[in-house]
This record gives sequence, structure tokens and C-alpha cells, in this order.
Amino acid sequence: MKQQIKELRLRAGTAIGSATTLKELDDVRVRFLGKKGELTALLRGMSKLSAEERPLVGKIVNEARAELEQLIAEKNSQLKASELQSKLASERIDVTLPGRRVHAGHLHPLTLTLNRVKEIFVSMGYSVEEGPEVETDYYNFEALNLPKDHPARDMQDSFYITEEILLRTQTSPVQARTMERHKDNEPIRMIAPGRVYRRDDYDASHSPMFTQVEGLVIDKGISFADLKGTLEDFSKKIFGEKTKIRLRPSFFPFTEPSAEVDVSCVMCHGAGCKVCQGTGWLEILGAGMVHPDVLKMSGYDPAKVSGFAFGMGIERIAMLTYGLDDMRLLYDNDVRFLKQF
Amino acid sequence: MQVSTKWLKDYIDIDLTADELAERFTLAGIPVENVIHAGEGLEKVVTGRIDELKPHPDSDHLLVCQMDVGEENPLQIVTGAPNVKQGQIVPVALVGANLPCGKKISKGKMRGVASNGMLCSADELRLDVEDAVDGIYILPEDTPVGVPAAEVLGLDDDILEFELTANRGDCFSVVGLVRELAVLTKKSARLPEIKVDEDDAASADALVKIGIDAPDLCSRFSARVLTNVKLAPSPDWMVKRLEGAGMRAINNVVDVTNFVMLELGQPLHAYDFDKVVGHQLTARRAVEGEPLHTLDDTNRLAKGGELVIADAENAAGLAGIMGGFESEITESTKTVILEAACFNSASIRRTSRAVGIHTEASGRFERGTNVNGTVAALDRVAQLLQDMGACKVCKGVVDVYPNPKPVTKIKFTAAQINSRLGTSYSDKEIVDVLEALGFEIDPINKVEEMSDEVVDKIASATKNFSKAAREIGKKSNVENFIGNIGATFGNLFKNAGAKADDMAQKAGAKANDMAQKAGVDDFVQNISAAVGDMVKTVDIKLSSAYEATVPDWRNDVTLPDDLSEEVARIYGFDKIPSTLPKGNQQGRQSATQTFIDRIKAILSSLGLCEELSFAFTSEAMFDKMRVPADSELRRAVPIMNPLTDVAPLLRTTLLASIFENAARNFSRKNEDVRLFEVAPVFLPKALPVTEQPLERQQVVGLMMGRREPKGWSQDAAQIDFYDAKGVVEELLAGLSIGNYIVEAGEHYALHPGKTAVFKKGRDVLVTVGEVHPAVAEALGIRKKICVFEADVETLHRFAAKKFSLESLPKYPSISRDLAILVSHDTAAGDVEKIIAKNGGQFFKGVTLFDVYTGERISADKKSLAFAIEFRSNERTLKDEEADYAFANILAAVEKDFGATLRS
Repeated sequence: MKQQIKELRLRAGTAIGSATTLKELDDVRVRFLGKKGELTALLRGMSKLSAEERPLVGKIVNEARAELEQLIAEKNSQLKASELQSKLASERIDVTLPGRRVHAGHLHPLTLTLNRVKEIFVSMGYSVEEGPEVETDYYNFEALNLPKDHPARDMQDSFYITEEILLRTQTSPVQARTMERHKDNEPIRMIAPGRVYRRDDYDASHSPMFTQVEGLVIDKGISFADLKGTLEDFSKKIFGEKTKIRLRPSFFPFTEPSAEVDVSCVMCHGAGCKVCQGTGWLEILGAGMVHPDVLKMSGYDPAKVSGFAFGMGIERIAMLTYGLDDMRLLYDNDVRFLKQF
Repeated sequence: MQVSTKWLKDYIDIDLTADELAERFTLAGIPVENVIHAGEGLEKVVTGRIDELKPHPDSDHLLVCQMDVGEENPLQIVTGAPNVKQGQIVPVALVGANLPCGKKISKGKMRGVASNGMLCSADELRLDVEDAVDGIYILPEDTPVGVPAAEVLGLDDDILEFELTANRGDCFSVVGLVRELAVLTKKSARLPEIKVDEDDAASADALVKIGIDAPDLCSRFSARVLTNVKLAPSPDWMVKRLEGAGMRAINNVVDVTNFVMLELGQPLHAYDFDKVVGHQLTARRAVEGEPLHTLDDTNRLAKGGELVIADAENAAGLAGIMGGFESEITESTKTVILEAACFNSASIRRTSRAVGIHTEASGRFERGTNVNGTVAALDRVAQLLQDMGACKVCKGVVDVYPNPKPVTKIKFTAAQINSRLGTSYSDKEIVDVLEALGFEIDPINKVEEMSDEVVDKIASATKNFSKAAREIGKKSNVENFIGNIGATFGNLFKNAGAKADDMAQKAGAKANDMAQKAGVDDFVQNISAAVGDMVKTVDIKLSSAYEATVPDWRNDVTLPDDLSEEVARIYGFDKIPSTLPKGNQQGRQSATQTFIDRIKAILSSLGLCEELSFAFTSEAMFDKMRVPADSELRRAVPIMNPLTDVAPLLRTTLLASIFENAARNFSRKNEDVRLFEVAPVFLPKALPVTEQPLERQQVVGLMMGRREPKGWSQDAAQIDFYDAKGVVEELLAGLSIGNYIVEAGEHYALHPGKTAVFKKGRDVLVTVGEVHPAVAEALGIRKKICVFEADVETLHRFAAKKFSLESLPKYPSISRDLAILVSHDTAAGDVEKIIAKNGGQFFKGVTLFDVYTGERISADKKSLAFAIEFRSNERTLKDEEADYAFANILAAVEKDFGATLRS
């Protein structure tokens, strides 16, 4: 009997070892340990044994069962692991296939740039004002100290609708309109972003329509130094902390003193490169102290308050920010361009 | 305006390079646009004589030259130029030369013969010569050999090209520029000494009559008469100066007038005395239709009103712009009338633009000339011509100057200038700059005048302190108080400059005295504040006041603000500190602007790209879009002077722009296009336009191409109406606009069966549809295009002002599917409405999830499948309750649409 058990244990061990699938393993389990299995059959044969032998053999049988169950369990987890392994292996996909894309929408680079400019000035306490794109000669020119036949009108060739109505050539008319809305020398801190129009040829650096942001600050004791500090602050925020600015005296009829404002080249940081044509500087805006006549015309008293104004082209800033070399890209609306922003 | 550095150096000793000069000028507000480095690239080009000329042994067109370039041994150079002859002197580029044309010269062989340089053509040296012939540039016979070519070509002089601002007419002259340079470099200028020897006994006023009939357009007309005029070429030095300024030499008389114009900024004109009918010149307005025969031999007819200079019979020139043909100086001229006048800038500008002639003279008059400079200019011309032995000068100047221009005087204080600039320049610094610029500065004894007033103010302020102090009661700091007051007054006067010293002492003593008398017992906190306020009120008045007399060449300076600019630009804008405006304000943007930002954010999140397009359109575009002939949209605002005929109108609909952009993309094979734009359209209130048009913000969107981007596992279907409608629905949801109705609509550019309008009552929120095939064809787009358009203000009006949150359900919902057959023309939207209406109290929503037409059902039917959701907010719903509601719905659709349940 002992010999039989030993022999069965050996066979069962071999069968377990050679099982290659969970099914085979289960078959082995049933064959040896099942209700009708060989070990169970051996157990039944125990009745023929003597009372002395019975507990001894029973112990051996139980030991063999426990041992076989242990073996099966081990084999089972081994087979499961390898089956999972091969399942995973069979499920391998080509991860280099492109992902399923969706059509992503994009804001226009000019909108993105303008939003940035607005954000900066709003955080500095400026309100955003707007005005009509089709303006009267009065607001576009005269209220800005540009009477008819003023030679400075040559600086801006205009699209006229009638003798007195035109497409605004600058966002400065919003200045005069905003000043008129205020009373009693009230302080103003505003920017006026918007489209403006000039009769320029359409080329890499000119466009008959472009985007300008005008700024105006009026209060008691506003000085040219305040203008300089404000523009310095703005330039650092939009072009980076290392940006320097340079003011060159210039002439605009609506400001006195007037300045053209350069920033240190955003590409070469002043060393001189193709973008700044070797000068290290890029002209980005015009500015100055509001001319006393302009204040007077819109109901402010230049003896009591003073102010500064500035104007900048958003296209220029966008082109510098994104490294564009042709302004026409901005109005061409090629989706391959628009999708990059 | 351009001028050579040599000319500037005639009048001032400076050793700055052209680039340094350019920077100095530019940073002082006299912008130099460009520096022409003359002779750049000519460093290794010398003059050489062709001593020997032999044909090349192996070529029938090459020549071998032995050149004398001033060295011991001749230089052998092979040339292919046909125009060279032995003995000629030509420019020779030596080995190592890097010519302006880009050629680099190195040792070489041409067909086996060594060639050590190159003979140069005018073009290779980039010479601006009129008589340049093909081939090598031949120099005059007397040219020295072996000297730098730049020298003999007069190219050793750098040129500054100025882009002057409209206000600085005074810098439109060499003298004006030198004057600025003298201030900037603190060097003294040697301005030309003008003196004339009236060596003809005849008196000018006996020979000519000068008149001004239009004193508003001509404020001064001065003339001299020159006799015994001998026309000849100008001397070399003058030719060089003129060429450096970009003008060509003609003859001595014309050249000298040009020279003096460039030198002094006063345009001049010379008339042939014998051709001037009646020997009289009058500045008058032209009569309409009057013939004008100008120097350029063009016959014009006067528009009427423009200023002309006329002799006894005819207009003899457009004043300040161009002289007349008949009275031009010629070989036969013996006597010259020389004119120097001052014309109204606006009038010159108008006329110059009207006739399309812009001359050196008109440019100067437009910016304004110095009315006091006419006689000096006449004298300078006479002097120079006399020096050349070219004329005699009659006695006297005929000078008509009916209303002499008053001198401009400006009162200012240093404090005023400093407060505008944010600087703290001393009185002396400010006065020094202005005086250097030619202003005469007189101190006004204002401080003396107002001293009593100021002392009184201080006294009364002191009284107030005392009062305040008494009220507070006795404390220990009496000494301190008085000491502090003294110190405060001391500071107060420190900034007021030397003039105030005396008064400061006086006021200080008086204040001290009064403070003591008032029995001040304490030093109170608020006194320092009160002193501060007082300092502010009296501050400006305390600083010294001055009166500046503006030099007569500076027409642009009239206000103290202008003086502040002078001070700032001479000391340098870089010296001005950087500060930020004091005080705080709240930054914000308008509600409309924020709403537009929201629209842009939503549409871009829905996969559309924002476009920005020009505001222009055309009739042709309206035709393409099938805008009906009688549509309001065709009543667009016309531009008087459009850039091109292609876009002469302001757009009345953004569709015009978005269609153009779609077409452009399509033509570039960008077939998957999803665009949107938010921008104004322009709707005239009347045509022809009499007032500003209405500007309304519109939003448009356009979609065409694949529904999903092209990919190995992506839907290849093309966008259709429902994609566009879905975007519109999401847009409205994002803008919190609900409870709208959608119905079939009409639109000129859209497919009649595929157009929907979203409405609130009678207001149209959005129109969406598939573009009419005829429009797509006209645009050249062979693809289905869908668009939508909306008025921003209308959307804004209906957008919910408050956000309302729907809380999450606490109890589960029950869903029932309803699949019915209805007739083919039943609108799904109508069925949904009936379902909602009959859904009972637990109805929560309906979603159409399938639409089927086809073989499995009869041809006049379609199958609609809806998922209907029921839920209670108070408890878990029972199946029977859902079944009951479902039965009601079914009954209703059966009744209203003859629907049958699909089995």
C-alpha cells in the first residue's frame, strides 16, 4: 500500500509537472485528487487494512494529498502567469501609429498678442476703451492738434468716405472721445485697442488695415518720467525682464515732448542682428506728453492736470514675439498658419 | 534733406565719424535715416595709367595691359573691355579689393596670362555718373596716377540722409544743422559771414516793382537786382557740396541759389529781368483757368486760388514750388531779379499736392521758413556770385513785408519744466541749454513782485499752526517746533534758486518771529502735513520765472511745453528718470469686450480657428454670394480712394470675408477649413454717406472638409449641416442662451432646404446652413461648405446674466426607448416638442439617437428612435410610473403624427 501511494505520488508529480495548460492541470487534478480520482480510490482500499495500519497509511495518504495540492496550486499560478504573459504578448499594438486627432481650434496670433497687452495694462489699472472705426475728421485729426493742411497729415495717408468722414488712421480718436466723457479733470488711465486703416501698399511690413493700441494717462502731476517708467515696465513684461528701452525725440502734433520708443532687440538683446538691422534696437511705439491744446480741446485744463499718451502696433509686437518676417501672413488666414498658435 | 559731413565741417570743428554724427542728431530729435559711407569698397582702388596695351595671345577679345599705378613696376592686368586705349587713366582695383558691386579681386590668370587686378567700370564702383558708358570708366587726362580713386572721384565724403520731422523746418539747412551740432557738442560754429558790396550804382527799387496782393499767403517778398551777370559753370568746391546734398550743378546763378537754399534754408528764385514783363513781380492768387507755363516746360491751367508770382501780364511761376518757363535764366541773361520770400505753409502744401510737384523749395516752405531770413539769403547769393566775379549788385533790397511777425516770447519757470519732465534740472542748467539754442532768456523779477504775497501766505500758515498748537495744549517741544519750521522754510526755498534766497531769509525770519509771538507751545503732528500742503501751493510761484524770446528760425516753439522738449532732448531722454504714475485706478474692460472674448474662447474650443480679415469688400463679392439686388446689404459704404478697385466698399456682412478666406485656402489645397471671426460690419444710415455708419459686431463661422482630421482610424465623412448646427448649439449653451426655437429659414447664400434659424421670439439669434451650391461654385470651392452668422449684440442681450447650476440627481432615472415610424416629412423637432409636452411631471429629457430611412421600411416613412428619461427629485421612481408616462407619449405621437411603434 505504501508502495502504491509512493508510486501514485510519483506519477501525479510527473503529470503535474508536464501539464502545459490550466485545462491539462485541472485534468490531472481530477484524475488523481477528484472524487473518482486514484488517490480517493486508494483511500477507499484502506478498509482492507488492519486497524494498526490504517492510521499510519491514512497519514501517508493525507500527506500525499496535501503535497499534490500544493504542487497543483504552484503549477496553477505558474501557468496563469505564463498564460497572462502570452495574452499580453498577443495584444501588443503598434504604438507608433498616430493618435486619433481632433480638430483643435486656435485664436489668431494678433488676438493672443493683444490679449497679452490688455492683460498687462489692465493689471496696471488701465481700462479698455473702444471707439468707432469709421471716424470723423474732427476726432481723427483736429481734436489731436492736426488741423487741415498740417504737414503731419502726410504721415498718415487715409481712406476717406467723405471729406469729413474717414476710416480712422489711429486709435487716438478714442482718447478724445474718452476725455470728453469725463468731467472736471477726472483722472484717466486707459488703453484703446482696435483696427486702424492707412492707405499703405500691402507688403511684408505694411498693411492697409492693422491693429493699434493707444494708451492715455491723465492726472495731476503726470510727467515724462512716468511715461518712461510705464513703457519700461510694459516692455519688460511683454518682451522679458532683460529688455531695455530707448527714447528718441520725435514729433507728433498731439504730444510735446514726443518720442519714438525702441526696445533692445528681442532676438540679439542689443548685440546687433538681422532683425534689428545691426542696430540692437527695434522701434515699437510712439509716445509723448499730451499736448496742452489736445487737453483743452477735450475739456481738460492743462494748468491743472497733465498726461501722457502712447501708441503701438500689435502686428509689430506679434511679429517680434512669434518671429514672423512677413506681415501678410497675419491677414492671409491660411489654416496651416493659424493652426500653429 | 541730405548733407555731406564735409559741408558740416566747413562750419564747425568736429572729429566725429558720420555714424557718431548720425547717432547724436537722431538722439536729439533730428533723425538721420541713413548714412552713406562714400568710398566704401573703394579702399583698394587706385588710379592707373594704361602704359601698354597688347592683344591677348590666346583670345581675340581680351587685352593685356601694363598699368602704371604709381609703383616701381608696372602691374599686368587682363581686361575684356573694348573701350580702353593706351595712355588713358582709369580706376584700378588692386588685389584684395572688395568692390561695392560685390566683386572680390584676387590674383589670377586669364587664359594663361597673369592678371593682378581689374580695371573698373562706373557700375562696378557704383558711381552715380550721368555720362557713364559701357566699359571701363575713363578718368580725365590730368588725373594723378597712383592715388586713391575715392579721392579723385570725390567719394571721400560721407553723406547723412535726414528724415526730418514736420516741425523742424529750421533743420532743413546746413546752418540749422550746424547750430544744433554746436549745442550738442558744445563747440562753437563758424557761420558764414554775409556781406555784400553794392557795386552797381543803380538802385534796385528803381528797376523792379515788387507787390503782395495776397498777404495771407505771402508774408514777405524781398528782391535784389544783379547786373552784368556772366553765366558760367560753378567752381569745383560748390559742385561737390551740391552733389553731396544730392543736387546737380547747372550754372553758377542756379547753383548759387540752390547752394544758399541748402545752406540757410531759404529757397530763392532767379528771374531773367529782361523777360519779366513790366519788370514787376506780384504775389497774387491765380485766376481759375489762367495758363501756367512752369520751368519743367509743362503747361498747366490754374485751379484758381493758388499763389503765383506774376509779372505785368502772366503768372511767372507757382510761388514756392516752381518758377516760370519764360523768365528762366539762360545764356543770354544779363540782369537777374533775385527773389527770397516767405509763403504760407498750408497753401504751398495744398498746391504742391494738387499739382503733384514736390521740390526742394516746396518742402522747405511746407515746414515753414524764417520770415526774417529773406534778406540775408539774398545777400549771401549776391556775395557768392560777386566772389565768383559773376555779377554786380544793385543798391538796396526791395523788401515788401506788410505785417512784420511779432517776436514769440514764452514765460516759464524751471519748476514747470521739471514737473513736466519729472526731472530736477537747476535753473542754470535749463537756461544754459535754451541760450545755447539761441533763445534769449530774461529773468522776470517775479519773486520780488510776489514776495509780499508769499510772505503773507507763509505768515498765515504759521498762524494756523500756532492756533492748532495752542488747542493741543502745552507740551515740551517749543524749541523743536520753531526749529522745524525754520528748517522747513529753508527746504522750501532751496529749490527756488538763487533769486529767492533773499526772500527766503526774509520769510523765514518773519515766520520765526510770528511763531514766537503767537506763543507756540508745542509741536503737533499735523503741522508737518500743513507745511507740506503749503509748500505745494507756493512751490511753483517761488521758483524763478523767466521769459524766453524764441529765435526767429524756430517756428515750432510757442509754449513752455515746447521748451521742456528742448531741455529734454539736448540733455538726452536717457537722462530722464523712470517712475510710475502715482495713485491707483481700477483696470477693467467693457462687458461687450468680455462677451466677445467668451465667444472667441468657445468657438476656438470647438475646433474653429480665428481669422482676421480686412474690412473691405466689393460688388463682385456680393454677386458671388447671391446677395439680392434690392438687399440692404448691397447698400455698402463706398471708400472715396480705395487702394484697389477690387475692394472699394466697407463690408456689410462678415460672410464676404470668410468666404474669401475659405476660397483662398481651398485654392491652396487646404480643404479642411474651420474658421470664425468676430468683427464689425458697417451699415450706412444714409447713402450717399452723411454721417458715420452704424458699426455692428458680427460673428461668423465656416466649416468644410472632413469631420475628423485625416487619419488611419478616423472618420472620413465630410462635414454637413448638422456639424455646423452642433457648433451653434454648443456656442449658445456656452453663452448661457437657452429656450430658443429652431426652424427652417431662408438666406440668400444658403441652400433653401438646409437653412435653419435659431430664434428667441422674433429675434434671430443665429442663422446656420449649408452654402448654396451656386455660391460654392462661384467661390471655386468644390466642396460642401457650412456657415453660420450671428449678431453679437443680440446674443449678448439674450445671454443669461446669472449662472444657474442644475444640481446633480439624488435618485436614479428610468430610460425608455421610443422607436416610431412617421411620414418622411415629419420634423423631428416637432416630435420632440410633443414628447416633452406629454411627458408628465417626471419627464426630464429626450435624445434623438437614431434616424433611419431605407429598405426595411416603406419609402414614405422614416424611423425615429428617442431615448426618454424620467426621474423624480424626491424618490426613486417606480417602473409603472415611467410606463404610464411612456404610454401617454406614445398615444400623443400616434395621434399627432400618425406614428406607429416600430417593431
